Amino acid sequence: MEFVDEIIETGGPILGTEHIESLRVCMQCGKCTGGCPSGRLTAIRTRKLVLEALLNMRDEVLSSDELWLCTTCYTCYERCPRNVKVTDITRTIRNIAAKEGYLALSHRMASSYVVKTGHAVPINDANKENRKKLGLPEVPPTTHTYKEALQGIQSLVKKTGFDELIGFDWETMNLKE
Amino acid sequence: MKIGVYVCHCGINIAATVDVKAVAEYAKTLPNVVVAKDYVFMCSDPGQDMIKEDIEELGLDRVVVASCSPRMHEPTFRKAVQTKGMNAFLFEQANIREHCSWVHEDREKATEKAKALVSAAVAKATLLKPLEVMEADVEPSALVIGGGIAGIHAAIDSANAGYKTYLLERDPSIGGHVAEMCKIFPKMNRAACLLVPKMTEVLTHPNITVLSYSELLDVGGFIGNFDVKIRKKPRYVDPEKCTACGECAKVCPVKTDDGKAAIDMPYPFAVPRTYTINPELCLRFQGEDCTKCKDVCPEGAVDFEEKEVEEEIRIGTIVVATGYDEFDASLKPELRYDMYDNVITGVEFEKILLEAEKTGELKVNGKEPKDVIFIQCVGSRDKNVGNEYCSRVCCMYTAKQATMVKDLVPDSNVTVCYIDVRAYGRGYEQFYENAQKKGVRYWRGNAAEVYKDNGKLVVRAENTMLGDPKELSADLVVLATGMTPKSDARDLGNLLKVPQSADRFFLEAHPKLGPVNTASDGVYIAGTCQGPKDIADSISQASGAVMKALIPLCQGKVLIEPITSVVNEEICSGCRMCEKICVYDAPTFDEERGVMTINSVVCKGCGSCGATCPSGAISMNHFRDQQIFAQINMLST
Ligand SMILES: Cc1cc2nc3c(=O)[nH]c(=O)nc-3n(C[C@H](O)[C@H](O)[C@H](O)COP(=O)(O)OP(=O)(O)OC[C@H]3O[C@@H](n4cnc5c(N)ncnc54)[C@H](O)[C@@H]3O)c2cc1C
Ligand code: SF4
Ligand code: SF4
Repeated sequence: MEFVDEIIETGGPILGTEHIESLRVCMQCGKCTGGCPSGRLTAIRTRKLVLEALLNMRDEVLSSDELWLCTTCYTCYERCPRNVKVTDITRTIRNIAAKEGYLALSHRMASSYVVKTGHAVPINDANKENRKKLGLPEVPPTTHTYKEALQGIQSLVKKTGFDELIGFDWETMNLKE
Repeated sequence: MKIGVYVCHCGINIAATVDVKAVAEYAKTLPNVVVAKDYVFMCSDPGQDMIKEDIEELGLDRVVVASCSPRMHEPTFRKAVQTKGMNAFLFEQANIREHCSWVHEDREKATEKAKALVSAAVAKATLLKPLEVMEADVEPSALVIGGGIAGIHAAIDSANAGYKTYLLERDPSIGGHVAEMCKIFPKMNRAACLLVPKMTEVLTHPNITVLSYSELLDVGGFIGNFDVKIRKKPRYVDPEKCTACGECAKVCPVKTDDGKAAIDMPYPFAVPRTYTINPELCLRFQGEDCTKCKDVCPEGAVDFEEKEVEEEIRIGTIVVATGYDEFDASLKPELRYDMYDNVITGVEFEKILLEAEKTGELKVNGKEPKDVIFIQCVGSRDKNVGNEYCSRVCCMYTAKQATMVKDLVPDSNVTVCYIDVRAYGRGYEQFYENAQKKGVRYWRGNAAEVYKDNGKLVVRAENTMLGDPKELSADLVVLATGMTPKSDARDLGNLLKVPQSADRFFLEAHPKLGPVNTASDGVYIAGTCQGPKDIADSISQASGAVMKALIPLCQGKVLIEPITSVVNEEICSGCRMCEKICVYDAPTFDEERGVMTINSVVCKGCGSCGATCPSGAISMNHFRDQQIFAQINMLST
C-alpha cells in the first residue's frame, strides 16, 4: 500500500477521510514551514514531511526525529492555502510511527505522567499561583482533586494497550530501561 | 507663409524638464512664425480651440505642435486643423516628450534640445505640401485561412454578420487538432461535442463556402481588394456523389498502422463528409492496377482522373488561423522517444484516450499501463531546441490526461514531472488540485533522461523539493510536447506580408494596442498561429480578429494614406532595382515609357525603394529629401 493511503486509512476513521485526504493536494508552497514556530528553534520542516509522505518515503518519515518536534500549535493548519489539515496529518503519522516503535523519548515521558498522575503536565507551584491569580481553585477538578479517578485512567491505559505502546513498567512505575 | 507654433506642457511631463515658455519665445524668432504659445495640455479641447482660433484669426497656413510622439496625437491635431479647412498634411509635430523631457534630466540642455527640435519641425513645415487621402471600394467578403477551432469560429462570426465568408482548409476535413482529441479541460466536455455542431454550422451556413483540401497559392492586391489564388487538390472522389457509406474503405487492400485505408475519412464527423484517396498510399498511384474502390462504390463517386483546379477569388479582408505543429519529440534524444514505443507524445496519448473512453479500457501497445510518468515542458522553455516560450497548454493537458489515467486505471501510479505548474485560466487551479485529489503525484523536477533497466522504463529526475535525483520506473512515459509554429509559417507569412516574431509565430501589430492586427493592412491573426494558447483563448481571439476584419467591410471604403513613394520620371532610368526591393510589389515597370510607376494604394511608404534607387529618382511623400535635409540642417546648427 502507498504510504499516503495508509495515512488516510489510519487517520480517516478518527478525523474523517476527507480531512486526512487533503494531504494529496499540497502544492509545496512552504507556507507551513515558513510560519512554524517550532521550526524557528528546531529542525522540523513541515513541507518536507508532507512531501516525503506523498512520495511514499515511509521509512524516512516514520524514523525521522522532526516528526516529534511539532508542538501541535495548528499555525500551519490554519494558514495552509490549500486547506491541507497539516497538524492532524502529522498526528496521524505519529500514530503510525508510535505503533512501529518510533515514539520519541520525550513523548513517552509525557505519556508516563498520564499513567502516573492522569496529567501529561502535572500541576506545579507556578501554575497553582497562576490559577489563584485568575480566581480559579488552586487545584483543578481532575485526578489532582479526585485521586480515586486515577485508577480508572490506569485501567483504560491497560485496556487500550497504551502502556505497551509507551513501554511502561508497572513494577517501577516508570518507563522501561 | 504663416506658421503657428504651440508648445505643450503635458501637465508636468514636459514642463518639469523643459522651460516651455522659453521654447515658445524662441519659436517666435524663427522665420515665417507669426504666433507661438505654450499651454498645459494642447490635446485638450481648449488647446485645440487655441489652434483653430489662430488659423481663423491670423490666417495660419502651417501648424507645428511641440508635444508628445506623433503616434500619440498626430491624428488629433490633424483633425483639428482640418476643421478649419487646412490640409491635414500641413501639420507637423515635434516630439519634445519621448525624445526630450522623458530622457533628459538637465533642464538647461533639455530646453536647448527642445528649441532645436522645434526649429527643425518649423523648417520642415515650411516645405510641406498638401496631400489627399485616397479612398478605395471594399469587396464585402472575408477569407479565413485554416479550419481549426479558431478558423471555424471566425468563419461563423463573419458569416453571421452577413458577409460572404470563405473558409480555406488544407486538410481533407476542417477541425484541426481538436478533432482528434478526447476530452477538453477544464470542463472535460467531449471534444466532438464542442466541435461537431460548429462544423455542421459551417457546412450549412448560406454565407460560408468551405474550400477544403485546398491551398493558398498567391495573394495580390491590398486591403479591401485582395486577389487570392487557390489550388484545390484532387480527392479522386466527388464530394457531391459520395454518401460516406464506407464500402470503399472496406475493400481497399491498404491498411496503415492506425487502421486507415488508402481511401478514407479522417474521422467519422469529417466536414465535408466525403472520402478522399491518399495518392501516397493508393496502390493505383504506385503503378498497380487496383480499382477495388471504384468497382464497389454504389454512387460512382470515385474518379482516378480528377485533376487539381486553380481558382481566383476577390476578398475584402483575411483572417489567418493556421494553428500550430506539435513539437518534434525526437529533438530531445535523452528522452528516447525514437527508441521506445512506450515513450509517446501528448497528441498520441490523446488518440489512445479517445479509444479507451470508447472501450472503457486503457491499452497502450496492447497492455494496460500501471506506472505512468508524464514529463512536462518537452520542447518548451528550452533554448536548447530554440523554443524559449512556454506552450501554455501542456500543464493543463497533462493534468487532464493524468486524471483520465487515474479514472481508467484506479490502481495505477501516475507521476507528473514538472518545472512549475502554470494553471492560469479560470478553473485551472482547481483542475490541477483535482488531479492531485485523484491521486496524481506531482514531482517537481525536469526529467533528465529516460532509459531502460531490465526491460522497464526508468525516468531519472531530480526532485528539487528534496534536492535529490531519483530513478522512477514506468511502463508508459508521456511527453507533454509543446506547440511550435507551423513549419511553413514563413512561406505563408511571405505571401501575406505578415512577419513572424522571434519565436517564429506570427507577429501582431502591437502586443496590447493591436493584438489581432498585423503589419499587413487587412490581414488579421487568430488562434495558435499567433502563439500558444488553449481553445478558449483561441476562440476569443478569433472573435476579436473577425471584429477587426469586418470593420472595413462594414465601412465599404478604405482610406489610403498618401504617404507613399513617388517617382520623378525625368530622372528614373528604368533600372528596376526598386521593383526587386519592394516587399509589397508597389513599383511596376511602364514598358511604353521605360519608367517605374508606383501603385500608391499598395505602397506602405516604407522608403526601401527610395534608399535603393541609384539615380535618386524616388522620394517619399511627406518625407521628401528636401524636407528631411531642412530638418537636419536646423538640428546641426
Ligand atoms: C495534446 C494536446 C491536448 C490539448 N488539450 C486541450 C484541452 O483539453 N483544452 C484546451 O482548451 N486546449 C487543448 N489543447 C490546445 C488546443 O489544441 C489548441 O488551443 C487549439 O487546437 C488551437 O486551435 P487553432 O484553430 O488555433 O489551431 P489548429 O487546431 O492547429 O487548426 C489549424 C488548422 O489550420 C489548417 N492549416 C494550417 N496551415 C494552413 C494553410 N497554410 N492553409 C490552409 N489551412 C491550413 C490546419 O490543417 C488546421 O486544420 C491541447 C493541445 C495539445 C497539443
Ligand atoms: S502550507 Fe499547505 S500547501 Fe503549502 S506546503 Fe504546507 S501543507 Fe503544502
Ligand atoms: S546541474 Fe547537472 S545537468 Fe545541470 S548543468 Fe550542472 S552538471 Fe549539468
